[in-house]
Amino acid sequence: MNGLCSDPVEEFNCNKAFSDLIVENKKTAAIFMHEKSRKEAEDKIRLPTLEAAYTSILRDLGEDTDRQGLLRTPLRAARAMQFLTKGYHETIDDILNNAIFDEDHDEMVIVKDIDMFSLCEHHLVPFFGKVHIGYIPNKKVVGLSKLARIVEIFSRRLQVQERLTKQIAVGISEALQPKGVAVVIEAAHMCMVMRGVQKMNSRTVTSTMLGIYLEDPKTREEFLTLSQTT
Amino acid sequence: MEPSKQIQYTSNEVKDTGDSSSVPNGHFDGLVKRPAGGTVRTQTPQPPGAECSSHRPANAGMESWREERTRSVEDNEMSLPSLAAAYTTILRGLGEDPQRQGLLKTPWRAATAMQFFTKGYQEKIIDVLNDAIFDEDHDEMVIVKDIDMFSMCEHHLVPIFGRVHIGYLPNKRVLGLSKLARIVEIYSRRLQVQERLTKQIAVAITEALQPTGVGVVIEATHMCMVMRGVQKMNSKTVTSTMLGVFREDPKTRDEFLTLIRS
Repeated sequence: MNGLCSDPVEEFNCNKAFSDLIVENKKTAAIFMHEKSRKEAEDKIRLPTLEAAYTSILRDLGEDTDRQGLLRTPLRAARAMQFLTKGYHETIDDILNNAIFDEDHDEMVIVKDIDMFSLCEHHLVPFFGKVHIGYIPNKKVVGLSKLARIVEIFSRRLQVQERLTKQIAVGISEALQPKGVAVVIEAAHMCMVMRGVQKMNSRTVTSTMLGIYLEDPKTREEFLTLSQTT
Repeated sequence: MEPSKQIQYTSNEVKDTGDSSSVPNGHFDGLVKRPAGGTVRTQTPQPPGAECSSHRPANAGMESWREERTRSVEDNEMSLPSLAAAYTTILRGLGEDPQRQGLLKTPWRAATAMQFFTKGYQEKIIDVLNDAIFDEDHDEMVIVKDIDMFSMCEHHLVPIFGRVHIGYLPNKRVLGLSKLARIVEIYSRRLQVQERLTKQIAVAITEALQPTGVGVVIEATHMCMVMRGVQKMNSKTVTSTMLGVFREDPKTRDEFLTLIRS
């Protein structure tokens, strides 16, 4: 696992050592990467149920569902919630298939400050922040916006920040087989800011380092320096 | 003084609100009706606990607070199972599996969270303010700014957050400073529209203190615009309500707006 393998087969395995991590999560990864747990066409069919649920919520909160401002709120809220969880429609395969290019580049590529909006799966309250992604290509580079699209797929779901970070990293690894992937997310959780402990300025930072970023501290340091500078 | 105050507090819209006396935000849903609109303004104090009518008189002092509390802690407990059931339906409707470990208790957590985000319906201004009004011979501007505010958009049920700046010119009566923030809390922890929220805060302070003037400015980010729809990350909405001398005298308003900028 330390990149000093001399045997070419072993070297191949060494370079792909981080795939062990993928294998562990293969089951969960498969669900999120190659299967759609929700079909886009089903959204319309499910809308009335969601609407009814929201109407019941409004009533239980003591509001009057017939007042002008709330008349169409169940519909709007249901549609909004479907939009905020539209990541369930999409898989990596859909968006990446045509944007992987053979390029003789093996230096770090970083896309940083990708705005991310997600929903806390514990409280159904938003959390949002920035994602910084870095990877070292192994003869295959990906269209830059596709990194942001991968973030969108996984963030527009009911999420936990740790899992989100890992899914993005593993998604990129599976698609590109690069030498290494690094993902850092810094987010503010409304469930901590608006309720509960109510700490306005707290931020949660999670990171996932795969491949050469995990093994080589210098590479990791380069990524962290470059992604943190404004 | 009274006629001019009436003009200030009534809006230009005369909306038919129907019977909005029993809804938490209803008394501002259609804004205050003009006296000529056929509604009677009464100056007689209403008995405590009487329901506030939709045509609440703006300068009737404390009477307008004697509205019935719309939600109690017991109500919360009783509606929790039904809220949780609704959230379970929502989770299923979104294509998620409510039985997986991360989502097992989510309906309850989400229900409690939503009740917390609308806890403004449980509180009355009069409870919060009753003992914090002091007679003070002060008639210079008092400003409390950068009050963090969190609300819920009543159209999409998505958070709104921002800052509230309040300024008022006392008329021999000042208010405990934290009470201004508590007024913001009561009105913001509801299903709101930013315009209405600004007005409610301003009118509440006016009714509590009868100051010479009140100014409220809210600058907020609407998640319904940032996370969905047009998806404009950096957009902010600014609303303001100026009452009394803040409305009439441009210099006072200017001073207020300059001081909240710095």
